[in-house]
Formats: sequence, C-alpha cells, structure tokens
Amino acid sequence: MAMQRQSVANYDATEWEFDVAKRIAIVEDEAAIRDNYAAAFRREGYAVDTYEAREPALNAFASRLPDLVVIDINLKDDVEGGFELCRSLRAHSANLPIIFLTARDSEFDAVSGLRLGADDYLTKDISLPHLMARIAALFRRMDALQKPQGADSQIRRGELAIDVERMTVHWREQPIGLTLTEFWLVHAMARYPGHVKNRQQLMDAAQAVLDDNTITSHIKRIRRKFIAVDADFDAIETVYGMGYRWLSY
Amino acid sequence: MTLKKQLLLVSLMTLILPWAGFEFIRETESALRAGQQQWLAGTARALADTMARYSEEFPPASGDGSSGDQLYMHKLAKRPIIDGYFNDWSLHAASLRSIRGADGPIKFAIGSYGGAVFLFVEVTDRDVVYATAQTMIIDDGPRYADRVTLVSSSPPYLDESFIFATAAPGPMLSYKQDQYGVAPQAAIAAIWQDIAGGYRIEARIPANLLGTNLGIVISNTGNASARGTRSKSFSGHLPAPVARLSPELDALAASLVQAGTRLLVTDAAGWRIAAAGQLSAAETAASRGSGWSRFAYDMLVESGKASAFAEPDRQGRERQPYISSALGGREMASWFRSEESGRAIVAVAAPIVFDDEILGAVILQQGTEAILSLTNAGLARLMNVTLIATLLVAGSLLGYATWLSRRIRHLSVAAEAALENEDLHSALPGALAHDEIGDLSRSFSHVLRQLGDYNAYLRSLASKLSHELRTPLAIVTSSLENLEHEPLNKASSGYTARAREGADRLRRILTAMSEASRVEELMASIEAEQFDLRTVLDSTITAYRDVYTERAFQFDCDLPSARTSGSPELLIQMLDKLIDNAVDFSSNGDTISVALEDAGAELLLSVMNPGPPLPERMRTQLFDSMVSMRPGDNTRHLGLGLYVARLIAEGHGGRIAAENVEDGVVFRVHLPKFQPSERV
Repeated sequence: MAMQRQSVANYDATEWEFDVAKRIAIVEDEAAIRDNYAAAFRREGYAVDTYEAREPALNAFASRLPDLVVIDINLKDDVEGGFELCRSLRAHSANLPIIFLTARDSEFDAVSGLRLGADDYLTKDISLPHLMARIAALFRRMDALQKPQGADSQIRRGELAIDVERMTVHWREQPIGLTLTEFWLVHAMARYPGHVKNRQQLMDAAQAVLDDNTITSHIKRIRRKFIAVDADFDAIETVYGMGYRWLSY
Repeated sequence: MTLKKQLLLVSLMTLILPWAGFEFIRETESALRAGQQQWLAGTARALADTMARYSEEFPPASGDGSSGDQLYMHKLAKRPIIDGYFNDWSLHAASLRSIRGADGPIKFAIGSYGGAVFLFVEVTDRDVVYATAQTMIIDDGPRYADRVTLVSSSPPYLDESFIFATAAPGPMLSYKQDQYGVAPQAAIAAIWQDIAGGYRIEARIPANLLGTNLGIVISNTGNASARGTRSKSFSGHLPAPVARLSPELDALAASLVQAGTRLLVTDAAGWRIAAAGQLSAAETAASRGSGWSRFAYDMLVESGKASAFAEPDRQGRERQPYISSALGGREMASWFRSEESGRAIVAVAAPIVFDDEILGAVILQQGTEAILSLTNAGLARLMNVTLIATLLVAGSLLGYATWLSRRIRHLSVAAEAALENEDLHSALPGALAHDEIGDLSRSFSHVLRQLGDYNAYLRSLASKLSHELRTPLAIVTSSLENLEHEPLNKASSGYTARAREGADRLRRILTAMSEASRVEELMASIEAEQFDLRTVLDSTITAYRDVYTERAFQFDCDLPSARTSGSPELLIQMLDKLIDNAVDFSSNGDTISVALEDAGAELLLSVMNPGPPLPERMRTQLFDSMVSMRPGDNTRHLGLGLYVARLIAEGHGGRIAAENVEDGVVFRVHLPKFQPSERV
C-alpha cells in the first residue's frame, strides 16, 4: 500500500526508516519493474526514491544525492538517457555507487556504461537476491572506505593485495579500479592460487548468472586493468576448456 | 543432355532439306522421263504407220520357224581387201556368226559393198586336208578334202553352190556347181589362209551370181579317204532367204529420223532392215561427278539395262525383250544406262501392222542428255546448297546454344555464388535483357533478395526477441521474487515455485538466443592473439572427458604444433557447440573423434560422431540461424548452436561444413594457419 501512495520523484516520508537508512534511487521507466525493485529494496530496509525519467531524477539529485543509484539506460524515448544521467552524477560525486540495470546486454553497452564510471553493469536477468547482495556489498565497501584499514581483512598473494572489507585490489602497491563483479572474480581466483576455477564457480562467486562470453569479457577486462599498471602482468592463466586460475609466485 | 547438344540434334532436322530436294529432283526426273518416253512412243507409232504403207518392202514372214537359218547381209562401210583378214570389214568382231563345227566353232559373216558380196569364214580344224585336182571339185567320190561351200538359191528356180577348196594356202580359184556341173568361177576372188588350228577364207562374189537365199556348209575331214563331217548354217535342205537392209526403207528411215534419235526398222523376225540416225555422242561423264554426289545420282536414277544392249545388234537381228514384245504386237519401252558415263537411253519399240499382220517393228531410241544434265546440275546444286544450309543452320544453332547456355550458366553460377557467399543483394548477370533469361535473372534476383531479407530477419530475430522479452521477463521474475516474501499458503507457494521455474527456463532461452549476437559483437572487437590450437584442443578435450562421461573422446593430431591466430576462447566455444551437437546425436558409449590436420594453407579441424545421417535437404541450412534438426519438440535447442559455430569459424576467416560419412556425421572446420605477416 505504500507503493500505491508513492508518487514519482517524491521521497516517501511516511516510511518508518530513520535517517541512517541508506537511500537508493531507482531511475527506471518501466513502472512494474520499478515498483518491484522498490518493494524489494524497502523490504531490505532501504529508503527508496523512484524516478521514471532523467529530468525529474536530476532535479531531485540536485538538492540531495542518494546513497546509491540504480539506472536503466533506456528511459522512455530517451534511448541513452541512463548514460547521460550517469555522466551527470559522476560529475557531482566521484564516489556515489552507480549500478546500471538494463535489458541491453550488448558488450558495447556494458563497456560504455563502465567507462562512464558505473560501479556495476547488470542485466535485468539478475535475480533480486543477487541484486541485493551486490547492493549490500557496495554499501559495505562504502562504509569500509570510511574506516581505517584492518590487517585481518587483507589477503596477499605475491604482488597482489586484496582488501576484502573495502573490496579494493592493489597490484605492486598500485590500486586497480575493479567493478564489483570483477573484484569478486579476482577474489575467487586469488583466494586459492593455482586452483582452476571453472565458469560455474566464477559465476557463483560473482553472484550473477553470466554466460560464457560474459565471463570471457570480464576476464579480458580484468587482465587489461592489471596490464595498464604492469605491462608484464600474466598472473591469470586460461586453462582451455576448464576455466581460469591465479598463478602464485 | 545439355542445351547445346539438344539444339545440335534439332539442327539435324535440316537434313530433311536434301531429302526433300532429292525427292523433288527425283519427281522432276521421272516426270521428264515419262514425258520423253511418251513423246518417243508417239513418234514411234507415227513412224510405224508410215512404214506400214511400204508393206511390200518388207520381206515376207517365213512362218516356218526357219528365221534362225537366215544369214544377215551386213552393209559394209568400205570395200574389204581380199586378204584373209577380217579387221578391214568395218564390222565388229562380234558381228561374226558362229556355228558348231567338228573341231570347234566356225565363224562367218557376209556383207555387201557396191555390187559385190563378201564372204568371210574362219574354220577351226585340227588338221587341214588340202584338196587335189580330183577332190577340188567333186565332193562325192573316193577322195575328200576340207572345203567351204556357199549354197545359193532363188526358190523355186535357182539352186547352186560355190565351192572354196584349195591345194595350198593363198589366192585360190573357186568353183560353181549347179545342175549342169562344176565350173571354175573366175569372177570370184578368194583367198585361203592357214591359221593356228584352222584356216580362213575371204571371198568377193559378184552380187548377180547369187540368189535370194544363201547358206554356208563346211566340210571337215580328217584324211582324204574319209568323207568327214558337214556343218551347215541352215537346218533344212535349202538355205533361208538372206536378211538385208531394204534400200527403200533405209532411205525412208534416213529421211524421217530426227537429230539425236536412232531409228531402226526390223522385219517380223527381228532382222534389221533399216537403220538411221545417231544418238548424240556427247558423254556426260564430266558432269556426273564422283563420291557422294555420284552415290546420290545412282540412288536417284532407276537403273536400266546396260547401255550396250541399246546398240543395234551386231549380227543384225534385234532380240531385246522390248523389241520381241513389239514383234508380238505390243508396244513397249525400255531404259538403258551406261555404268561408266551414267548416260541413259530411252528406247521404244512399236509394231508395224498392215492388214492385221505384223510386218516388223519400229525402234526409236533417244539419249536423255537433257534430263541428265538437268538432274546432275540440280543434284550438284542441291547438295552444295543443302550442305551449306545445314552447316549454316547447325553452326548458328550451335553458336546460339553456346551463347544461351553461357548466359544461363553465368546466371546459375552467379546465383549459386550469391547463395554461397550470402551476398544476396548482388546484381545477377543478364538482368537487363528483355528476354526470358532476363526475366529469369530478375526473378532470381528477387527470390535471392527476399531470401536475404528473410535470412537477415531470422538472424536478427533471435537477438531482437530476446531483447524485447527481457523486460517483461524481468517484471515476471521480480514480481515472483517479491511474492515469495509475502505470506503464502502451501498451494500458492507451489504455484509461485513453478512460475519461477518457468521464468528461469525462459531466461535461459533468452540468453541462448542472444548468444549469437554477443558472439558477433565479440568477433568485431576481437583481439587476435597467436596461439597453438593443438595445445588448446588437448586441454579442452581432456575437459570434455570429465563433462561427458558417457562418451569416449579420441583426439588425433599428427602436427607437433598448429599455430593459428584469433580468439582461443571463441574457438573453444565453437568446439563446445560441435561437441554438444555430436553428443546429442550419438548414443552412450560412442566415441567422438576430433582430429586436427594440415590442409595446405589451412588447418582442418574435424569432429566426427556416430549417429543418424543428416537429411540431405538440411545440409546447406544447417548452419543458419534457428534451424534445428533435432527430432521432436526440444525446447532447449533453438537451432542457434551451429549458427554460432559458423559465426566463429567465419569470423576467423575459416569455413565450416557438415557431411555424412559411413555410419556417422563429420563436421569440418577449415581455419587459416597463422601467417606472421598478417593479422586476423
């Protein structure tokens, strides 16, 4: 019934959450999906703002930024509206977690979205529990970044340093900017160096249903990010027909 | 049979032309011949009527069957010298009549020149017995000699003999024997000449010494004391009348005969009594040609008797069947032909009838030179024209067929190439032509274009569909997930669980459907790396053994390494599809064979599985989007797997094909080898 009273671009003041409740903004033109996600987020204890187009969302964000934004790329007639919105938001805040949640599954769109600074690019195939896990993880990372670094959350594998709490990865003491999915993949492989992780295991680790090509693309992107820091990087080995493994030194 | 051969066969129909021409010439020829024969027959009848008015000039028919006994008085063209030789008689050797003698044939002839009658006798005699003074004259006595006797009579009055016997070869004196006795005849010049195996006598007798009837008797004796054998030219006691040219009829015939025709008149026994005119001597051998035109000519002209039979009889008596028929009262025509020259002669014999009595026959002969040359020229022209026409028609039909079949072949090759290369919007040759092939080309283009559009539509259908369905599916899924957090009774949770399952399945299908477009995207952004395909396959197939435990896998590779460039992940994905396919179409315990071979500039990767063969009609569509040949309704397969495999193979500059082999199916992928200088 809360959903019925909710109007577009209106913060629902009748909700019981206090101010510490994380505020998630959903920008999605498909009302049914928007409402379903909003209901699911609220159930998890988040405060939710919903917008059906770019303009109302931008207007609302100008006065107050939410803690996390879920954006669809295709907004009504504005086919690239989500990208525009992401660009504007990134201009406002460098740290605001932004997730693309879209029906567009093409590699090109995914690359474009991540290049605009999104923290994750998800297709609408994703199940709600998986989505919740990701959002929770993103918030955890946000929180962890505020706290001093704890040694217990560190994993070191040769040149690789993984901070599980903050979900950050360093290679040769240099930070590697990984998305959430990428982080989980690296984490899954590096936790047991030398062990081959097959696609299914990697999928489970990334809390996503991904097809073979998507995993391949992800691994390619991860390698590229490491190579950007260290041209000689070759710690991720492809075991053809089986999966991938992290080589320890 | 190709179009060319068909048209060439049709061109053989032009051979009807020479046949038709041939028939026409034959028709014309026989019409002309019939015309000529009719004209000749008419003329012959008119001549016979004319001749009948001179009935008194015809010798009376003997009627006693003795006409064979008659001698024929040849009309000599020049005066023979009495020397014992026949070669100056201006007669052919065949003119000599022959009777049987005691030791062999006896040949003789009589002829007239001026007021004299000439006699030539050649007797075969093993031993010549010369006469003595006694035996010279008397035939009936104690002594005998070889002799020739010319019996002459003018019934009923005259009956005398001229005896030729000699004591030695050379000029001789002959004797005349009549009822008054024997007397030497100085008026008769005669010569006796010995030859090998016999003797010859030639004599000149003044015509007034002789009667109307003549006969020859030869006495042959072995020695002077034996009477020997007598051989006679006549059968009865007295000789028969001499047959000879009638001067009046001969003159009449000469005045009536037309140029180029020969006119013969015979008496009732067939003895020639008048002859005039000459067949034109022009031989037409030159125009007759040789080889196949000669063959055609021989086919065309009906063969007659040899032309020699048309000549007047050498011995003076005409015995050709058509003449005999005329003498029997029935007019008849006959054809003669010369084998050598091709010359044809038409001859007509008409009876001469006076007072219901057949006096003899008129024989009229004419050469057919005019017809012949017409026919020959016609034949030659016909052959040449039809030969040229046939060659022209065959040549032009052949050329036309070549042109036509080349156009059609171009069209079909272009259409096949367009189909093969998926270049379905390319222009086909001949589209501008205004004929049926142009129509065909345009229809082909149209069909190909539609096929191209359809293929493109099919290809985009999967990804479009999956994209469009993703949002409603997300609505369903998220609604169901929300619903699970609401208090539900047991039945409701069962339904939601089932709905979730359905939605999950739908999601998997959508993912599979969008795979092709994802692969296409990946292919566009592929970063070619150089790698060893053998290592990749080794490792991959090891993995398959773990995944598909009910199948055995065999990997054959003789190559130490197989460098290629591209994306190993994508190639593995391709192999996944092929193996998935091979597993689905084989049974538990089967062995799936994978082989990597060197194929020149390419590497050949083949995947073979035992199982049912591919249906022939599906062979080419197998690698198209949304084509599945799995039996039954299997929702897991949308027919995209092999399409993805093809995309990957072609994206690597290779090609993929499927083929039925003995108890199985083999998929072959050709991939280019790595060339250091180029990048995929």
